[in-house]
Amino acid sequence: MSTLAAELRAEAQEGRGQAARDALLRTALGLGTGFILLPLVIVIVYSFSSVSYGVFPPPGLSARWYSHLFEQTTFRAAFGRSLTIGLAATGAALVLGLLGALALVRARFPGKELLRGFLLSPIVMPKIVLGVGWFIFFARLGMQGGVVPITLAHIIVVLPFIINILAANLVGLDPSLEEAAQDLGASTPTVLWRIVLPQIRSGLIVSGLLAFIVSFDQVESSIFLTRGENNTLPIEMFLYMEKWQDPTIAALSTLLIVFAAAIVAVAVLFSRGSDLRRMLLR
Amino acid sequence: MRIRGAAVVILLAPAMAAMVVLYVIPLGVYFINSFHRFLDGRILPVWTLQTYVEYFTDSFTYKVMGTTLRLSLLVTVLSIVIGYPLAYALHTRVRSAAAKGLLALLLFSPLLVSVVVRTYGWLILLAGTGVVNTLLRGLGIIDQPLNLLFNMTGVVISLTHILLPFAIFPMYSVMSRLDLSLKEAAHDLGAGWWDTFTHVTLPLTMPGIVAGALICFTLALSAFVTPRLLGGGRVQVMPLMVYNNTVDINWPTGAVSGLVLLLMSIAAVWTLNSLLRRLPSV
Repeated sequence: MSTLAAELRAEAQEGRGQAARDALLRTALGLGTGFILLPLVIVIVYSFSSVSYGVFPPPGLSARWYSHLFEQTTFRAAFGRSLTIGLAATGAALVLGLLGALALVRARFPGKELLRGFLLSPIVMPKIVLGVGWFIFFARLGMQGGVVPITLAHIIVVLPFIINILAANLVGLDPSLEEAAQDLGASTPTVLWRIVLPQIRSGLIVSGLLAFIVSFDQVESSIFLTRGENNTLPIEMFLYMEKWQDPTIAALSTLLIVFAAAIVAVAVLFSRGSDLRRMLLR
Repeated sequence: MRIRGAAVVILLAPAMAAMVVLYVIPLGVYFINSFHRFLDGRILPVWTLQTYVEYFTDSFTYKVMGTTLRLSLLVTVLSIVIGYPLAYALHTRVRSAAAKGLLALLLFSPLLVSVVVRTYGWLILLAGTGVVNTLLRGLGIIDQPLNLLFNMTGVVISLTHILLPFAIFPMYSVMSRLDLSLKEAAHDLGAGWWDTFTHVTLPLTMPGIVAGALICFTLALSAFVTPRLLGGGRVQVMPLMVYNNTVDINWPTGAVSGLVLLLMSIAAVWTLNSLLRRLPSV
């Protein structure tokens, strides 16, 4: 009898230990999520501060930083430039990446793994090294920096992300569908356009969004290509922050957070969970 | 559909052309400068190893390397130590798939917002009259505000926050592929939770830890915005040196330090990848 009692006691103890571990892990998850969201939340709060200096809690609320922001034409122009560069670089990289991924997945040739490594290698290249490389390269070509060189540079920055996601999408396709289409007389371009592309629609959307976000966030890869007058948005913000730290940046950041949330909404609405996960895992 | 012959070349040609013209050649042109010499404010087109000799005999070089490695190591360890319980809690303690997806999205969301915005958030949080100091003083933990900005502390905190999602997702991904029956078996055989964790869960999730560490470490090595804006000139890391050298038109020294930074990244990737290969795959 005493052994049974001891066993029951041990089990009850274990139950208590289990409950304590549950509580601990849940608390950790709550705190961790809080830590990750904290800087974004605080930026939103400070964008409505009534004073220019960072004091907690803000003494009052106002929308003056938003009106100040809208008076700054430089930020608006920089946003437009970043948008143009992001869309152009993403579009170009989607075409290059799709063709490349098709070859990597559907063809067999010697040195394929080496080639894949080469195409993905810009991911591990320090961005500042790429930035200086492009600066010297475009300077040698007599190009003074601007939207076109930055777009060309961003194509290389985002291409690996696109190839990675699209290749993973293509691997998962059932080849019998394409064979059936070919047997029915469809040419290779038709098969690509009508059979392959619709099946990887979600991968195209997710990799495109990721590429746009990555392009939109480039600072050190592009900072030498702007020459101070045609800054992209993150570079304009970076240079502004080196001089001033008033909540104008907070107001702008808040708008960017809303912009990012909209992008996420698009991703969730138009893509499959597995592609989103691949985006999360990069 | 299998792709053969000329089609392979046609598919790969655009991406390869872009990679050669916009990646290989710029990096080549950049690194060639390391064999030139910078004297009296201009670059001498002579062929010499003098810049390398000067770089590696300068004690400042090793100070910067030390700071870079210390920062990267610290941030990587912190990201893994904080991220592991978060990934584990997300995997084991959140039941519904919807809640899991939402939490994963929240943990990932900062990556969608520019690194400049996130760094700005920490600038507000860590200021002398900022949230962290005000709270700590309000709780009576400290009398004087802590110096959290414009030194190593601020850079470590902010960079850990920026890299945390990159640590969480590889670990979560390995955990979600983990066979939970192994844990139950260990439990049935009488192992307590700690023994189960150290002998079963931890070894099996090691590939996720190494993969997370690999991403964090390489990204930390090349971090630029955070050390620049939050380091206050006191956190001299290699990307900042490359930047400063380039601004000073000292391309030869910039090329040597960029090359060293790149070799450090490659060494880190190679070491952790070979570690990853030796681990049992899940």
